[in-house]
Amino acid sequence: MIKYNSGENLSTKVMDRQLFRITAAITLLCIFCILSYYSTNRSSINAFYPFSILMVSFWWKKRTWLAPALLIGILVFIQALSFILGAAFTEAYYRLVMVMLTVIMVAFLFERIEKVRILNEMNEKLKKRTENLEDANNELEAFAYSVSHDLRVPLRAIDGFSRIVMEDYEEKLDSEGKRLLGIIRENTKKMGQLIDDILLLSRASRQEMKFTQIDMEALVRNVFQEQKLSSEAQNVHLVLKSVPNCYGDRALIQQILNNLIANSIKFTAPKEERIIEVGAENGKNMNIYYIKDNGVGFDMKYSEKLFGLFQRLHGATEFEGTGVGLSIVQRVIRRHGGAVWGEGKLNKGATFYFSLPKT
Amino acid sequence: MAFNEIEVLLVEDNETDAELTMRALKKNNLANNLVWVKDGEEALEFIFATGRYTQREMHELPKLVLLDLRMPKVDGMEVLRILKADERTNKIPVVVLTSSKEDKDIVESYNLGVNSYVSKPVEFDEFTEAVSTLGLYWMLLNKSPE
Repeated sequence: MIKYNSGENLSTKVMDRQLFRITAAITLLCIFCILSYYSTNRSSINAFYPFSILMVSFWWKKRTWLAPALLIGILVFIQALSFILGAAFTEAYYRLVMVMLTVIMVAFLFERIEKVRILNEMNEKLKKRTENLEDANNELEAFAYSVSHDLRVPLRAIDGFSRIVMEDYEEKLDSEGKRLLGIIRENTKKMGQLIDDILLLSRASRQEMKFTQIDMEALVRNVFQEQKLSSEAQNVHLVLKSVPNCYGDRALIQQILNNLIANSIKFTAPKEERIIEVGAENGKNMNIYYIKDNGVGFDMKYSEKLFGLFQRLHGATEFEGTGVGLSIVQRVIRRHGGAVWGEGKLNKGATFYFSLPKT
Repeated sequence: MAFNEIEVLLVEDNETDAELTMRALKKNNLANNLVWVKDGEEALEFIFATGRYTQREMHELPKLVLLDLRMPKVDGMEVLRILKADERTNKIPVVVLTSSKEDKDIVESYNLGVNSYVSKPVEFDEFTEAVSTLGLYWMLLNKSPE
């Protein structure tokens, strides 16, 4: 779970402090203007030079140096004015300039206060939205839990009891009866697979990520070896080009490599020579990896549908699948700040590209 | 059935799941001394010989508890917590047998001291295989303190 609360408190504190600093700086400026308006000895305002320089240096890192910097500007402006106008720069002129400056300062102060107020309001709204999101997230979690538990129970009963009928009433059933029961069992199996895949998808989007450096070359090799053992993929060859490391969540990246390589194995099945090539291009911040196969490919016309949930580009009788695998890939890559896209040609193979951060 | 010779206590609220589990155990002759209770409350009453089971002798403990997690009234996690916290019952092997594959449930069960966690497969053959295997292991191979 992501913790939002600490962030909220921090930003509110920062805003309050900023508002305090702005108000303090501008009030000081106003006091300066008013004091110098009544001061008969104009040269005494020169004492404000070191004071304002001190303020700039003090506030420099906190990004509220603008107000004391303005003070220096005003002093320079008055000096320049009296230099240009000479004797014509009378006490009345001086006072007029001071009144104007005070008005501008006060306007500036109100404007800043209004801005901070709006920011605070937005912060409040954001807090509410975060709460709503948290609720939605909790609901989703409860939903996934319910899917994982409650939907499996009736499914097991359907499968189990049709199997019991097959076992206990074998002599009474003719071949058609057995075929029909077989269809029931086949479909429960499909639904079980669908439930598992939906769960994987929900886990891929809500599981907390632990970022580490990942040796992609080793991971690709592991995933491929594992898949080769578990599926009918003895005649699949892996061509592994040099693949740089990436920075991401190991379990999730393994999951997407699993899905992509399983797809390649699945869709090269009709070919005699089955080749999967994995490689990468070094980018500036992101590496672009690709997984290329010489399988049945797909029509680019439907490329938009590739990553849609439950979208399939092949008939259920041609290739098995639920249409969830690539959706999982897309969610995981997006959570890493990367992108994923596919290129293919009918009967000429497919290539899937995805980008992942280097550090 | 005499309650004092109980070997397996099956805690399961779903009737079909219970029937499938008992069928799988029966195939290996492991269901002869089995009691099936339908929720956590009844399970606790049975083990501690209270409520509906006051006539039972408490010191005759079951050799194995098969525990579902999601049940009405008292859920499996609560039963597990109570059994493992009480020194009279904390040595009974408890196997969680549930549909849930959630990491949260697995971690919490082990934190409470479960002896084994098995997620029920949907497919019947796998389910039968899993239940028979764990039955054979816990009833015949495993040694628990007397």
